[in-house]
Amino acid sequence: MANFYDFDDIIAEDEVHTNSPFPLVSVVFQKEANGVGIDPSSETDCVKPGSKVELPFWLASELHLRQVGTMKVPACFNQRTKLELGADATCVDLRSRSPYFYEFGCKIAPLVGDRDLGSFLLSAFKNRYQEVLAKAHNAAFSTASKCSTLLTREETSMYEAAQSSMAAFKKWRVGGPKFQRASILGRKRKPAD
Amino acid sequence: MAGQSDPHLSLFSAEEVEFMAEDEMVEIVPNMRMDPLNLLCGDYGPFFPQMVTQVPVWLAIALKKRGKCTIRPPEWMSVESLTRILESERESQDSFQVLPFHYVEISRLLIDHARDDIPDIYMVRSLVEDIRDVRFHKIETSLESFEDARSSAVRIKNLSAMEVNIVRPFVGRALQAFYKHGSPDLVPNPDKVPNRWQPAADPVQKRPLRKR
Repeated sequence: MANFYDFDDIIAEDEVHTNSPFPLVSVVFQKEANGVGIDPSSETDCVKPGSKVELPFWLASELHLRQVGTMKVPACFNQRTKLELGADATCVDLRSRSPYFYEFGCKIAPLVGDRDLGSFLLSAFKNRYQEVLAKAHNAAFSTASKCSTLLTREETSMYEAAQSSMAAFKKWRVGGPKFQRASILGRKRKPAD
Repeated sequence: MAGQSDPHLSLFSAEEVEFMAEDEMVEIVPNMRMDPLNLLCGDYGPFFPQMVTQVPVWLAIALKKRGKCTIRPPEWMSVESLTRILESERESQDSFQVLPFHYVEISRLLIDHARDDIPDIYMVRSLVEDIRDVRFHKIETSLESFEDARSSAVRIKNLSAMEVNIVRPFVGRALQAFYKHGSPDLVPNPDKVPNRWQPAADPVQKRPLRKR
C-alpha cells in the first residue's frame, strides 16, 4: 500500500501544507522528551508527559510506534463525519475535511484503536463511488466543476480519468478526414474549342 | 508519435484502437485487374473486375481512396440488422448483443471513407450511435454492481474494443481503490460491512412515549 515514490502518499502523511481545518494529528505524550522544540506552547525545549501536541502524521506515527505518545483519532474521522456520511455520502464535502481522506484514513486506521474505521472508509467509498460513476462519463463541463469540489484526491483522479477518456473518444468520433476534394478536381475537363 | 496514448492514463488511445480495427476483413468489389499482393500480414487478391474478394479494412480504404473498388458493407451494417440489434439491446437490460469486436471503429471508418457504398448511410450512422449509447448506459449500470466487498469483480460479456477502452482508466482506478480499502488488515470482517454505514449504537436513549 505504501509506495515510497508515490507523491500523493508522501503528501498525505504531511497534512500540514493543506488548508484543511484538521491538518494535524494530536498526540498525547506518555514519556518525557528532552531537547525537542515541537511543543510550541512549552517554554523550554522539553515536552512533559501527558501534554498534548499537534504533529504531522509522519512524526506522530513514529512516536506512536516507539510508544512515546499515543495518537488520537483525527477530527476528520469523528462521529459527526460518520453520521453525515451515513446520511448521504455523496453530498459530504470530504475535500475540505482532508483532500487525502482515504489515504490518511488507511494509514491511521491500524494505529488508533478504532476497529470500525476501515470498514467505515470502505462503505463511504462505495457509496460515493456510485455517484462518481454516474457523473464521470457523461457530465458536461459546467456541472463537472461543481461536483468535483466535493471529491477527495483519489476520487478526483478517477473522475478525471473517466472524463478525459470520454473526451478523447468524442474527439476521435467527430474527427476524421477533414480535407475535401477540391471542386476543380472532380470536374471533367472541357474540350478545348 | 501522433495519437499515442498517455501511458499513465490508458493503454490505448482511440486512434490506436482504430488502427487495430483496420486489420479486420471486409469484402470489396474491385474495378481493376491486379496481381495478388503478397504481404507480410497475408496474401490478398488476385483482383479481377466485379469479382468479390476479402481484404483488410486498411487495404480496402486505400483502394477506395484511389477509386479502384467499392466496399461491400458487412452484413451487420444493414439497417434491418442494426434495427434488430438495437431493439434487443433495449429489451434485455443486463446482457449485451453479439456485435463485431470493432464495430464502433469499422462503422466509423466505412462511413467516413465509403459513404457512397453504404445504403441509407444516415440511418446506419444514427442506429450505430443509438446502439452505442444504449450499450454504454448498460455498462455504467453494470459497473455499479461491483461495489461488492472483497469480490471486486464484474462480468460483462460481448463488450467491444472501444467500449472497453473508454471505461478502462476509470475501472482500473476504481478496482485499485476497492482493493486497497477492502484489504483484510483494514476490514477484518467484510460481511459485517453494511451497505450504508450506520453508527454502531445510538448513544441517545429514546424517550419512552408517554402513556395516555
